[in-house]
Amino acid sequence: MSPTQDLSKLSEAELMRMEREIAARHLDKFPYFAVFWAFSNFAIWLALWPLVFMGVMPLWLGFILASVNITLSYLPSHEAQHDIIAKPGTKLRWLNQLVGHVSTIPLVLPYRVAKHTHMEHHKFANDPEKDPDYATHADGPLQAIWRSIYYRQPRAKGGLNAYGDALQRIGRPDIILDGVIFQLIHFGVLFGLAWSGYAIEAALLWWLPRHIALTYIQFYLSWAPHNPSMTKGRYRDTRSFRSILGNIGSLGMQYHIVHHLHPRIPLYRTPKAYWEMKPILEARGCDVHGL
Amino acid sequence: MVHVIKAVFYVGPLLFGLAFLAPLISQVIQAMGWAPPLGLTPLMTGLFFGGTLGVIAQIRGRWV
Repeated sequence: MSPTQDLSKLSEAELMRMEREIAARHLDKFPYFAVFWAFSNFAIWLALWPLVFMGVMPLWLGFILASVNITLSYLPSHEAQHDIIAKPGTKLRWLNQLVGHVSTIPLVLPYRVAKHTHMEHHKFANDPEKDPDYATHADGPLQAIWRSIYYRQPRAKGGLNAYGDALQRIGRPDIILDGVIFQLIHFGVLFGLAWSGYAIEAALLWWLPRHIALTYIQFYLSWAPHNPSMTKGRYRDTRSFRSILGNIGSLGMQYHIVHHLHPRIPLYRTPKAYWEMKPILEARGCDVHGL
Repeated sequence: MVHVIKAVFYVGPLLFGLAFLAPLISQVIQAMGWAPPLGLTPLMTGLFFGGTLGVIAQIRGRWV
């Protein structure tokens, strides 16, 4: 199928059949790179601490690398959240769960919190009441960055602070404890290091890079694909877009529409799936004009 | 236990100001070679500014 082919005359059933056929070609592909990425990224972030503390690496370089590391820490977990590495009951399920749990430690985001709230985001994308990520909605990029920071404030009623409400709503308040434990350990480590004479190192290897990472991730994973003017519905709640930083710079989110339609397609396959699916998406009236 | 954890999180901004920002400010002052005014030590200066920022964030519910 050519990417410019007009399929607007096809029936709903025909479009769905074609869409599923394309998706099936990209499903059940083992994401080797995501697994490598999860563990190597975490190992590099851990290695920054002794390297900086022993004076092998300058702190400014550690800060830059930590910011990149923590920004990159979410996506392998995201693959695990959608059981892309291994489905429940399969031989490599342990690896799926290990990637999910380990990769977001630097982000101070427990796997179970991330997974359950993310499933709610998929079910209710762009719903002001039920989408846990709705707080990132903003009219423009600068407002999106400001909102990301604003909703991370202690008594803000959105952003990560809204995840607890979402977990209560789905009947899993027990998972909030994961978040509490992560926060207590995070701040315990920061305070301990600070009073041991390593406050600047703690600030520049974890505290500030984490905030930079959260802002970047929320910008490219929540705001850019779901804004502006996206509504609700399978073919209306997200879009493709062109980022000035390209697909890698936007954390692979230029083709986010494919992910929402078929969440078990690995991240590295979404560009190929998108170009194959594009005529179908156009026939359905999706916002795919950006690419 | 739940009450203790809730109380700790409630005073989070104040705690962060005193337990993290204070030593951070103190160590930045030392690293830059600055001399705090009024005979204050770097740690006293850090506790003053970190504590003040923490109190303000505690009252406002936000840092920015």
